[in-house]
Amino acid sequence: MFLREFEAKHLLQSVGVTVPGGTLIRDPAELDECALSYPLAVKAQVAGGGRGKAGGVVRAEDPAAVRSAARRVLSLDFEGERAEAVLLEPWLTAERELYLCVAVDGRAGGYVVLYAPQGGVEVEAGQPPTRYDVGSPNDFRGHELRDVLAAVEPDAALRESVVPLARQLLHLAASRDCVTVEINPLFVVEDGGLVAGDAKIILDEWAAFRSADIAEAIARARRGEPDLVRRCLEAGLMLVPLDGDIGLISGGAGMTMAVMDLIAEAGSRPACFLDCSANPAPQGYGLAFAMLDADPRVRSILVSIFGGATQMERVARVMTRLMAERDSDKPVVFRLNGTNAHQIDDIFAAAGLDNHATIEAAVATAVNVIGGGA
Amino acid sequence: MSILLDDTNAIVIQGITGKMGRFSVRDIADYGGRVVAGTSPRRAGAEVEGIPVFADMRTAVGETGADTALVYVPPAGALDAMLEAIDAGCRLVVYPGDGLPVADAIAMRAAARRSGAVVVGPNTPGVISPGKAKLGFMPSFCYRPGSLGVISRSGSLSYEVCHRLSRAGLGQSTVVGIGGDPVKGVNAAEAVAYFHDDPATDAIVYLGEIGGGDEYDLAAYAAQPDAKPVAALVVGRSAPRGRKMGHASALIDARADGHAAKIAALRAAGVCAAETLSQLVPEVERLVQPQAASA
Repeated sequence: MFLREFEAKHLLQSVGVTVPGGTLIRDPAELDECALSYPLAVKAQVAGGGRGKAGGVVRAEDPAAVRSAARRVLSLDFEGERAEAVLLEPWLTAERELYLCVAVDGRAGGYVVLYAPQGGVEVEAGQPPTRYDVGSPNDFRGHELRDVLAAVEPDAALRESVVPLARQLLHLAASRDCVTVEINPLFVVEDGGLVAGDAKIILDEWAAFRSADIAEAIARARRGEPDLVRRCLEAGLMLVPLDGDIGLISGGAGMTMAVMDLIAEAGSRPACFLDCSANPAPQGYGLAFAMLDADPRVRSILVSIFGGATQMERVARVMTRLMAERDSDKPVVFRLNGTNAHQIDDIFAAAGLDNHATIEAAVATAVNVIGGGA
Repeated sequence: MSILLDDTNAIVIQGITGKMGRFSVRDIADYGGRVVAGTSPRRAGAEVEGIPVFADMRTAVGETGADTALVYVPPAGALDAMLEAIDAGCRLVVYPGDGLPVADAIAMRAAARRSGAVVVGPNTPGVISPGKAKLGFMPSFCYRPGSLGVISRSGSLSYEVCHRLSRAGLGQSTVVGIGGDPVKGVNAAEAVAYFHDDPATDAIVYLGEIGGGDEYDLAAYAAQPDAKPVAALVVGRSAPRGRKMGHASALIDARADGHAAKIAALRAAGVCAAETLSQLVPEVERLVQPQAASA
């Protein structure tokens, strides 16, 4: 879960990282009661990247400019998200802007520290940051990071400040279930101190059971979703709405992507990534059909499940029941296989349903039935 | 031979009294696997399908000689269950569950490396050495013995692909689900190394996806002069940027995470790379029967 900047900076501050003293407002009317010094940065608080390029950070020299900038950034659309709050921070004069990040990395088998001597919005376009593969947090060694930094950072005094800061970020990541703790830009101020200009923290949603912060961030993200999408997510379905016309009800992330690719190859497009394997029960599949039946863009529905732990005779019975109860004319195409698959044909035959032998055949039917295809 | 698992492994199921535990006792035994014990902290002294249930792993291993664990424990207790299996001396531990916090996966991996145990997972159907044993819940009918070593980041995709391979007469030495999470007990590079050292594996089939770096480790292996032949499928060609596709690591952030970059890197390393599921079996046939394919 992507935290907003003010939440991320609160976490950074809690482990001793220096952040600019900011003021959070939710309404420009609150500005009357704020004692501010100028110039300052007016920053939209949204849970996504690309904010600066979208005009969500504005420099303001006086109260009138702050007021108009706050109004403007609160009205902007950031890829479908509106800012609910604005962070006002002193506009810092930096000697340099660095990039420092601690993130989970599969190839490191744990955490990696990333450093670039030039931070800012262009860090992705420049040389990739230098890596220090930590792995387990207990395997962090300051001297190893110092050696890695020496190859790209000539300022020895600065290196000595970055090493303990990296350890602080690692401690935060490991103790608070963060998968990314990124400071970009990391300001070097006049006295040589390091100040977090921005902060991007992504929390591990699987750790919600032991973190109120994470549970709250998930709940907040879901509040912004349409009702049926939110109910699908709450039922454990993995759902990413897309913009095609074939509703895909599937099982397993890799198989779902494989079928999406086949739909695209057949000349159509999937309406969603929807992996129901966490809830292969009447409730889960029922919500999936309810959402796709209600979506006017969806013209046919493809059910593609190759079950392992999911026992397919149960899925077949759930499907026959849902088809009998369903109130929609949208065609539904099945391809079920997996554990106990030999029982599917009899169950489907009794209900007058067809099961396709291969996923390619099922995709072709789902595409042809709506007159699509290359 | 095979890797990790054969008919000598003596299996203990942690959480044997739950729904998945009860299912797997019979399913694994039907396949010829040796389940010798189960654990359940509150049900010690009971039996499941004739298999004795112990309170803890030390007792289960001490009483039965078990050396392999299948862990059906919810995420909040999963790390402790895996550490208990490792500390009790298990050489192979499979954790199929998903939803394990990544900090716990990192601790799990570190503990396995310290002890020399192999942990497979999280978020995997497990390991199967066709004709010998299975340790997980993959549908048995999809597999047949042979000489392909299969590595997969996705469970259901591995069933589908192995079903196709088996029907085409292309059997498997071992199929290992490395799982869809970013930090894994066994990652792609390590699974490839096991297959490289296995004399019964002639070629490697890898099932990957967008996001993460495992495909680049595979490419690095395939580029070595003594590498075994490798075929690969990468799924997610139609996935949008910036959205997580179910698996925690299936996310296109940078260009290298994307389908085209991975296919290009694999092909440059000499891998027979399939861009969609339909192309994979022909690519594998090209790999193992070069004369037949070119005729």
